[in-house]
Amino acid sequence: MAYYADIVEIIAPSEAKPGGRVDITVRIKNTYSSSVGIMAGGALECGVSPWPGISFPDPSANVDGGATHSFSGDFTMPDKRVTIHAYSYYYGSDGYWHFDDEMTRTINLAEEIESEFGSIAIISYQRR
Amino acid sequence: MGAVYLPSQFGGIFLPLANVQVKPGDKLRITCQYSHIGQADSQPLYAAIGNEGWAGFDEVLHGSKTINVPEDATWNYHEEYVDITITTAISAGFYDLYAKIGGTFPKVISPSLLDVVEVLAETPESEFGEISITDYAKV
Repeated sequence: MAYYADIVEIIAPSEAKPGGRVDITVRIKNTYSSSVGIMAGGALECGVSPWPGISFPDPSANVDGGATHSFSGDFTMPDKRVTIHAYSYYYGSDGYWHFDDEMTRTINLAEEIESEFGSIAIISYQRR
Repeated sequence: MGAVYLPSQFGGIFLPLANVQVKPGDKLRITCQYSHIGQADSQPLYAAIGNEGWAGFDEVLHGSKTINVPEDATWNYHEEYVDITITTAISAGFYDLYAKIGGTFPKVISPSLLDVVEVLAETPESEFGEISITDYAKV
């Protein structure tokens, strides 16, 4: 249970192609009664160590009490299924960021269809 | 006159094709329609003039170029052309056409269009045979 920065959901595609950019949104709710500094973070569980990070261009925001803020991030899809670990932090009165909540979501590898040609027909020909 | 069958939402249409006359020095542009699905691909588009026979297509002249096919999530039709340069290597007469995609092992081959190309004899070099005075007058 989060103290202040409750991760409501991770918006991400259910599958993605290897090497493609995957855009995600992490929605975090400030459960406190007044404004709190909230930061989003994330990492990818995909069989490599350390886990690659997720880029959040604007990772932190002051969020009004009871409001939900959307943090946009992205990463490059590896060549295997990946589990997103999204983290939330709140800015404490002691001047430090404190870890608060975590949520996961899995993105499967999109099946790639091999190139295939079905038919060909000559439809015109002309002297040039 | 040849004809080609094109698939369509109505089940298909026959498109009549007229003969074309060419002579050495010309180029014959052959436009093809093909269907594709899957990842983006680069393949040679190849077309040939020759004679369709019981043992296959006897090619006389051909042209080819590489086509870049975009990724298609579903079956899609695309059009592309390839030019064949008409040279003196082909003699006068009526010829057939066919096209394919792929190299040594084609991925797809078109039906042949029979007797659709008429190659004309090369125009002879400039030559003067004789001359004679046909008139003379004071001017």
